[in-house]
Parts: sequence; C-alpha cells; structure tokens
Amino acid sequence: MSGRWKNRLIARIITRFPSLSRRVVEAYSPRESQDIPWVPVTKPLYACTLALVTTAGVHRRDQQPYDMNDRDGDPTFREIPVDTPPDEFMITHDYYDHTDADRDINIVFPLERIEEFASEGIIGGVARAHYAFMGHITGRHLFTLMQVSAPEVASRLKDQGADIVLLTPG
Amino acid sequence: MGLIQREVEKAGIPTIGISIVRQYTEKVKPPRTIFLKWPFGHPLGEPHNVAQQRSVLKKALEALYAVDTPGTIVDIPWRWRRERYHG
Repeated sequence: MSGRWKNRLIARIITRFPSLSRRVVEAYSPRESQDIPWVPVTKPLYACTLALVTTAGVHRRDQQPYDMNDRDGDPTFREIPVDTPPDEFMITHDYYDHTDADRDINIVFPLERIEEFASEGIIGGVARAHYAFMGHITGRHLFTLMQVSAPEVASRLKDQGADIVLLTPG
Repeated sequence: MGLIQREVEKAGIPTIGISIVRQYTEKVKPPRTIFLKWPFGHPLGEPHNVAQQRSVLKKALEALYAVDTPGTIVDIPWRWRRERYHG
C-alpha cells in the first residue's frame, strides 16, 4: 500500500504544478512509431454511431478495479454498457489526480455529453458499449495491450457498429 | 491512449484522440489528434462546465472530418478558464 500512497501523492503534486508534470513527461518516453494507420471518414457526422475509449482508469463499481500494485500497470480493459448510471462509475488510477473527474466523470469520459449530442442530432447515435483502460501501461504489459486487449476492443467496436471512436486520456 | 487509437483505426474505424501531452502524441503518431495544453486528468476541462466540455467535443469531431494528413495534431489554443465557452 505504501507504494500506492506515494504514487497518489506524486500525481497530486504534478497536477498542481505544471512545470513538474513536464519533467515527468520527459522522463517517460514512448517508443516512436513509424507508419500511421488511416481510414477516411465516409459517413456524415449526423449519421455516425460514436463510441468512447478512455485510458483514464474508469470502471463500474461492480467491475474489478485495475491492478495498482503492478509497476507495469494493468493491460486489461472494462466494457462499459451505455446505460450505466453516472453514479455507478468510479476511477482506479494512482498516476494522475482524479479528484475533479470523481466529481464529474465527463471531464475524462464524456458519456453524458455525447448522449446530448445524439439527442440533438449532431451525431447519429451512441454505441451500446464503451471501453476503458488505465493508462500508464509499460514494460511487459505493453505487449499484452498491443497484441491482445487493444485488438479485442477494436473488434468489439466493429461488431457493435461503431462508425467513429473518440479517445480520451486521464 | 495513442497506441490503442492506432489499433482501432487499423481495424477500420476512423478515430480522433484528445491529447494533453503533445510529446507523447508526436512519438506514438495516432492518425488524428487535438491537443490542449491543460492539466493532467482534465482533457475535457472542468467538472460541471458543460459548455467547456461540449466545446472540446465539437472541436474533436470537427478535426475528425477536417484532418486529411495522417498523424496531424491540431493545437487548440484555449487558455483553460480564461475563455468564454458557448458549447
């Protein structure tokens, strides 16, 4: 538990002082990608079903929290049904300060906002299910994320007819 | 986040990401991103600021259609609280 306490404290401090967060960013450097995947958007926005994917550590209260004791993070995902009531959400993520997101989940996972967009006709609809990960996945878990979890989520998004996907970090 | 975004796009679904750490996005190279220089944990802004959250979402959806070069990062110059958001 002491490790978690330390991570949370660091998360609070770096969120409060942006100059420190820049240092944290510089210390962790993702591998550089070469090719860039690309598919053109063909459907008009008002006809598109939108799905959300977040890496902010969001999950339902009845789902297993992400593993915070593994230094490499947790590469698993949680499926969030669209009819989840707002007070059923919680966040397990010690590497950013989610005090504000705990008060209003929409700042990291804007489900209520996109439902408004759908009812206003800005988008065609909201997908039946959305997907959540925790960020901060490193080391050996990167392989699982890239080879297992992310392709599985992509295939579920396809199966349920998502036309466009919006991704949000923590 | 960008790595997952790339996988979704590879599966054939167009994607747009919201980034608050430009250096990561530059390296990971997701297909389309809007960038806001905002604090960690606040990609859509402040709690209960519906107009601000809607403004960010609209910018993201606008970029989804406007970007035609893979890897583009659209910088959104909004200064956190010091803007008027109409949503």
